[in-house]
Amino acid sequence: MSTATDTSQHFDNLIGFLKEKRENVTFGDIIKLAEIAAQSLQSFFQTMDHTVYRELNEIAGYIMTMKQEIGALRANDLKDSRIPSAGQELDAIVKATEGATNTIMETAETLMAADASDPVAYKALVDQHMLILFEACSFQDITGQRIAKVVSTLQHIEERVSRFAEVMQAKDLDGFMSDREKAANARNEKLLLNGPQMAAEAIAQNDVDSLLGKPKVKAPPTAPASTGSAQSDVDAMFP
Amino acid sequence: MAFDLSMPVLVVDDYNTMIRIIRNLLKQLGFVDIDDAADGSAALAKMKEKKYGLVISDWNMEPMTGYELLKEVRADPGLQKTPFIMVTAESKTENVIAAKKAGVNNYIVKPFNAQTLKTKIEAVFAE
Repeated sequence: MSTATDTSQHFDNLIGFLKEKRENVTFGDIIKLAEIAAQSLQSFFQTMDHTVYRELNEIAGYIMTMKQEIGALRANDLKDSRIPSAGQELDAIVKATEGATNTIMETAETLMAADASDPVAYKALVDQHMLILFEACSFQDITGQRIAKVVSTLQHIEERVSRFAEVMQAKDLDGFMSDREKAANARNEKLLLNGPQMAAEAIAQNDVDSLLGKPKVKAPPTAPASTGSAQSDVDAMFP
Repeated sequence: MAFDLSMPVLVVDDYNTMIRIIRNLLKQLGFVDIDDAADGSAALAKMKEKKYGLVISDWNMEPMTGYELLKEVRADPGLQKTPFIMVTAESKTENVIAAKKAGVNNYIVKPFNAQTLKTKIEAVFAE
């Protein structure tokens, strides 16, 4: 193996040769010069080769690990199977709830419009429609199971992405958003489209009434809110 | 416009189910002339064709939101006095404050019941 001392020696030879042959340079001198230069550069490159080789080896190892981790993400499985499947489950949930809501409302509308002058006939009609209501409410069981499958898919993705980020020691880049996300965010911000809030963040109707400077109106409690919002907080903003 | 069960009411929501619910609740309260629109721009067009005694609007709709509709209504000299109730799942304080600044008459957080809707409508016309 050549050392830095060897390299220095080669360069000394080269400089000495050039000093000696300042004039009357022949073709043979040029060949000799080329040989000395080649020897000097060879030892230089040999030194450099080991450093570069070590660094390239480290990079290759990192790439290999990254490739394995990307494989472990099973991105194609997520893209081609799990995420579309979760989307189909959500579509089915929307359709099931929509169908049940329509059935329930149609039943209620039928009963509201029914002739109640004959109590016996009216009771029979109500009983018949109550059964329809019970049947319609069965959507809750199926949608619950579908939601569980979607939650399972989200957990699957979360676990793999978390592991990948940990192994890769990935750091989040600030400000990365697609044009579509940027446009949606800008619209949401401008038009205050916050959407339904969880119970901890939502205000109650009483607070809304207070904010609006309206007198509080005593109203019976609303149905349990999926968003956690309460009418009483809203009322408080309209004293 | 004074409270009158025969006055036209415009319900604005992009969900047919919610329009149907509010329409049925209003019928139960005795209202008979109820129209609907699927977003703010459709509602604005209807309001320019017919004088409504009350607008009940959702917030989050496309292309024009209920918040934008409210500002358009309040900026239009021919419509600005129309009572306007926001019925929405938007339950952040900033939404209520913004609606108040824009001139909303009352604000109902979804989900709500018939009694809440009734008391809010009565409160608007009691002012």
